[in-house]
Amino acid sequence: MDDYIKKALAGVTDHAEARMQTARGRHVSVVGGNLVGNTSYVTHGVGARFYKDGVWGFASDSACTPESAAAVIAAAKENAALLHSRKPKNKPALANAQAARYTEARPFRDVDQKALTDYARALDGYIEKTYPDLASRSVVISANCIEKTMYTAEGAFAYQLFPRVYVIVILSAETADGATVELYDILGGGEGYFPDYYDDPAALHEAVDGLYRELMAKKEGVFPNAGERLCIIDSAIAGMVAHEAVGHTTEADLVLAGSVAATNLNKQVASPLISLTDFAHTAFGERAPLPVYVDDEGTECKDAVIIKDGILVGYMNNLESAAHFGMEPMGNARAYAYSDEPLIRMRNTALHPGTDKLADMIASVDDGYYLTRTQNGQADTTGEFMFGITMGYEIKNGKLGRALRDTTISGVAFNMLKTVDMLSDTVHWDSAGYCGKKQPMPVSMGGPAIRCRVNIGGR
Amino acid sequence: MEKLKKAAQYMLDALQAAGADDAQVSCSEGKTEEFNVDAGEFSLIRSVFNSGAAIKVIKDHRKGTVVLNQLDKEAVDAAVNEVIAAADSGAPDEAFCIAAKEENLAFKEGSLVCDKAAFFDSVIKLTEDIARDYPQIMIEQLIATHSYGKRVLANTNGVLFTEEDGSYNVSVMYSAHDGEAATSFNYFDFDFLDPRTDILSLDGARTMLERAVAELETRPFTGKFVGTAVFSPACLGDLLGIVTGSFTGDLALIEGTSVWKDKLGQKVADERLTLSVIPRDPRIVCGERITADGYKAENFDIIKDGVLNSFCLSEYAARKTGNARSKSTSGSIAVKPGDKPFNELIADIEKGILVCRFSGGEPANNGDFSGVAKNSFLIENGKVTGPVSETMISGNMAEMLFHLRGISADVVCDGSSALPYAAFDGVTVSGAAEE
Repeated sequence: MDDYIKKALAGVTDHAEARMQTARGRHVSVVGGNLVGNTSYVTHGVGARFYKDGVWGFASDSACTPESAAAVIAAAKENAALLHSRKPKNKPALANAQAARYTEARPFRDVDQKALTDYARALDGYIEKTYPDLASRSVVISANCIEKTMYTAEGAFAYQLFPRVYVIVILSAETADGATVELYDILGGGEGYFPDYYDDPAALHEAVDGLYRELMAKKEGVFPNAGERLCIIDSAIAGMVAHEAVGHTTEADLVLAGSVAATNLNKQVASPLISLTDFAHTAFGERAPLPVYVDDEGTECKDAVIIKDGILVGYMNNLESAAHFGMEPMGNARAYAYSDEPLIRMRNTALHPGTDKLADMIASVDDGYYLTRTQNGQADTTGEFMFGITMGYEIKNGKLGRALRDTTISGVAFNMLKTVDMLSDTVHWDSAGYCGKKQPMPVSMGGPAIRCRVNIGGR
Repeated sequence: MEKLKKAAQYMLDALQAAGADDAQVSCSEGKTEEFNVDAGEFSLIRSVFNSGAAIKVIKDHRKGTVVLNQLDKEAVDAAVNEVIAAADSGAPDEAFCIAAKEENLAFKEGSLVCDKAAFFDSVIKLTEDIARDYPQIMIEQLIATHSYGKRVLANTNGVLFTEEDGSYNVSVMYSAHDGEAATSFNYFDFDFLDPRTDILSLDGARTMLERAVAELETRPFTGKFVGTAVFSPACLGDLLGIVTGSFTGDLALIEGTSVWKDKLGQKVADERLTLSVIPRDPRIVCGERITADGYKAENFDIIKDGVLNSFCLSEYAARKTGNARSKSTSGSIAVKPGDKPFNELIADIEKGILVCRFSGGEPANNGDFSGVAKNSFLIENGKVTGPVSETMISGNMAEMLFHLRGISADVVCDGSSALPYAAFDGVTVSGAAEE
């Protein structure tokens, strides 16, 4: 099929892409000792997209044969022609298209389902035996890998693998008033395969013990006093600030739709302490958590600098938006499934670290909160964001006080970032999540602990 | 359909030959046609051809499942080996089961063939109507689809369902803009069967766009009060989805963390609240016909006149917890309307907030919630007054259902739900800075 696709694209004068993908995954979940989830999946397919004077046609098929590839390419061309005939944009060719090339050398590695079920049940057995007072417990293992082969009309080629694996533990306990409080944590894992991170379940016991101790503190927790407060947002949450609060508003498709970043380019949008980059494959001198080398338009992936010293200096682009804004495309056009067209997506988005020590930051707060865990977050094109907070503590006179029950923080990103006056010197990454746009997408996000003013919910 | 039936039977035979005690398979094929608008302009037409299969096996009371999207012999044989190995690696559980045979049925409904030209015309008209009538509205993203599918669900107890359907959907995410002033995004979503539908005339669409334009005058709210929260139909649907998941769903009951775990047959809400799952209601477009477990789907009440009538449980969770499986696994919900028009519902509220979208964290197991009231307006002295931003609401969902102030007679039907406005007292509203 590769040869057919190469030939089909060889004579195309406008930009066009074709991708073959295989997605594989294994999932195990043990809930209260019951192995309720024990599943695997494998899907294949081919997709193609054609550009026609400013509009696009896309088609895909789960069948993976030269015939299906031919049908997909023909349908994609027809769709582009149909849209051009009814809603022409008459824009120029994508002269900024590149012919990047990358071939992943490491092969895909699978494991037996039994390796996952045995591991999950052993870890669950430890939790059951050690902490019989829990109201509930769950152990989840998720291992997946996206394998992409991509060709473009300009001659770009990429063969890339995106494997991830994580063990997640969720614990809950009953409070004195009969409610239950819950905490979860992602224990290890990252880019790669199950044996790369997980061998002996006992290696996770210490992390489980720590989670249990935090849960016991939360059990006695209080609700925060609602309103705008001085907070230390731990590095475990900073990635959410980078991704949700800022990142989305600087994706060029949302900028074109009128996001707050549209009118703030080259303006001071944050404290001069703040710099934010969407890293391609290397960050702060190390391999980024989820590296990407060539995007799904054939562009070589480079770091997209978004905020430098508090000034908004760039957006994340695809070929079209980069041409529109006169920016260099950095490889942010990514598609999730074979049946998806590339969209502007983040990769490894992080706030840069500062020079402060976390202990000094906490000690600097007379009356506020130290927020340490989040569960979800949402952003608005206005920059207004919301994060669910699942763990945190009061800070009174520079010392940690009582734990907090579940709450929510919110703010307007470019206002909140202007209040940042301390940043810790270490970066924490989180690579387990999916970003939701039109399609899901594995992304990583990171940053240091942040001292700022933010709106916190209460009761 | 015969091809899918043959594939399903081949899988069941192969699974039994490989040692499965019980097995369920579903095989499907489909096609989606899609139009996209981004930042106000048509950007993409997309065609997706797909197939798929899901296999569930029980062997020695152990369960394994596999999902694949190729139906050729080689792929199916590999999947059979994989799912048997998964079951062998599992843990025995007497609650694992497949559906008992009842009546085998064949369904065919909806718009099976996409009228691409007529649908494209309707979507173009929608964009032109919005541009003409609401020039401040920016369509951030519009996704218009026709989905066609056929599916077979069969198991080793002799269950055999077939279904074939097609329908249209339009989802619009938008915001309002005037110079540098911009509102939060909001969205509406409709399912329908006629490709020539006048989309902007569907329930509530114009009201939502008019509210977005009004939100251009939004001001941050300062202060804090406990008052009445009136949830828009779409927002009410989101909240009740959270309630049903957290209080009546599989995990909440299996883990025993649901605050309603012992409340079946007891009062859990104001007696005016009836919450139903209605996949077979004529207002629902191509609703669920076959449950995920392999039973014929039926409408049922979760809450009837304030009393908890049913959990929302799979057959596994039902057997595990000693409850009945729910008659549908669909998310198509309805709330019984009240007798007051929306304006009268608002008229006797002294201080409150009209919440049209809620952006919040996952609520705690006991129902405690907090989050941002998006696209929302203050209610003062019986009138909807200024739109607000940076405003949070918090409370407890289980308690809130008892503090129902009223339900509107107006109902919005979007093809997947039928929901009114509902007002609840005792909700905390707080701004970015206290007065």
